[in-house]
Amino acid sequence: MKYTTFNQQPVDTMQEHMFFGKPVNVARYDQQRHPIFEKLIEKQISFFWRPEEVDVSKDRVDFLKLTDAEKHIFSSNLKYQTLLDSVQGRSPNIAFLPIISLPELETWVETWSFFETIHSRSYTHILRNLFNDPSAVFDDIVVNEEIKKRATDISKYYDDLIFYTQLYQTRGEGVYDVDGYTHEVSIRNLKKKLFLCMNSVNALEAIRFYVSFACTFAFAERELMEGNSKIIRLIARDENIHLTSTQHILNLWAKGKDDPEMAEISKELEQEAKDIFMLAVQQEKEWASYLFKDGSMLGLNEEILCQYVEYIANQRMAAIGLGQPYESKSNPLPWMNNYLSSDNVQVAPQETEISSYLVGQIDSEVGSEDFEEFEL
Amino acid sequence: MFVKDKQPTQVCVNSHTCFSFKNEENLLIAMEKQNIDVHFHCREGFCGACRTKLVSGEIEYIIDPLAFIDDDEVLVCCCIPKSDVELKTY
Repeated sequence: MKYTTFNQQPVDTMQEHMFFGKPVNVARYDQQRHPIFEKLIEKQISFFWRPEEVDVSKDRVDFLKLTDAEKHIFSSNLKYQTLLDSVQGRSPNIAFLPIISLPELETWVETWSFFETIHSRSYTHILRNLFNDPSAVFDDIVVNEEIKKRATDISKYYDDLIFYTQLYQTRGEGVYDVDGYTHEVSIRNLKKKLFLCMNSVNALEAIRFYVSFACTFAFAERELMEGNSKIIRLIARDENIHLTSTQHILNLWAKGKDDPEMAEISKELEQEAKDIFMLAVQQEKEWASYLFKDGSMLGLNEEILCQYVEYIANQRMAAIGLGQPYESKSNPLPWMNNYLSSDNVQVAPQETEISSYLVGQIDSEVGSEDFEEFEL
Repeated sequence: MFVKDKQPTQVCVNSHTCFSFKNEENLLIAMEKQNIDVHFHCREGFCGACRTKLVSGEIEYIIDPLAFIDDDEVLVCCCIPKSDVELKTY
């Protein structure tokens, strides 16, 4: 079915599923099949921030004082995060928007991607401050073997879904030979690819950032690179809400609250979903070992970082009904929570009291107790 | 915040730690006061780290929870007990 940017047939979005229904026409939010996505949009927008608001100038002095091993840890993590947000800044739009059939979900995906682009811009902001010429750092991202390994697994599910969607939307269902490969395009097959892709994205948002976050916050615990830490805290807060959205999508499918065919596929491909998650865990552990190859940093080593990855993976896998396959039941890095708590995220000093700026929010509820002190 | 006086409600966690809820801001704070190990990140309902099983009783949300929670789960960072409750942590 050909994609149209404005479907001229009347659509009752209350009857549509999240994906592979009729294309969205009017961007309306007065009636919503899944109101959670509009709530996520509101929350995400209330978190708006700009990298330039965070002063990172002191970080340069700190960076020069780091050991070579620590410099490697710091810049490698920034490279990896740059890769993750480069993918996330474009892929949800390209992969999901052409197949979404609910306006609230469409707008959520656009909002989500937009925030990933803020993250990407913040890495340039950090790197410009640390290096006279940050281009060497960026150039290394596409040639660094350790990063490339991860890039393949992150992008392949997206690429697969995008390619099959293109075939479907230009030629419809059928079997096609393209460049010597045979592709069986059917709605069922597309839905499977969507399911695997969503699981891969969910694993990315759930754990792929956390090794890097832990290192950043371990520096901050030693009062080093604090500008960077402020930015990463804002990013972590955003990533948490992105994760919530993919968890909602996966659970809506699995619990039969959306497309019944997706509920079937969730059961059918459960093992594959688990494998995707556990491969990501494995890769993050290998990343920790690459980071510490020249030596560890104060307050953190490979072993404890791996335990943390397992601990966080247990929680995030349980949230989508995949059980808790790892041993780590208690948090090996309890101080991490101080950096991940919303209350401690602060951009400018005048905002110490509030963690998000919702503009024009007035409490208009008046109860009888508000008039208790009035007398006529 | 305006909190009405009410009878202390009993909170039981993992069927061994029981305490009365003393109008703490939310259940998470109340559980932390008892040194109960509860996962948390955002503390405002959008990350879902503090998902806890509600075995029995009723709770009331003071912040609209955004994170996914199953029908038998609650987010302790944004609710208070409405009756005596029994909880099970993950």
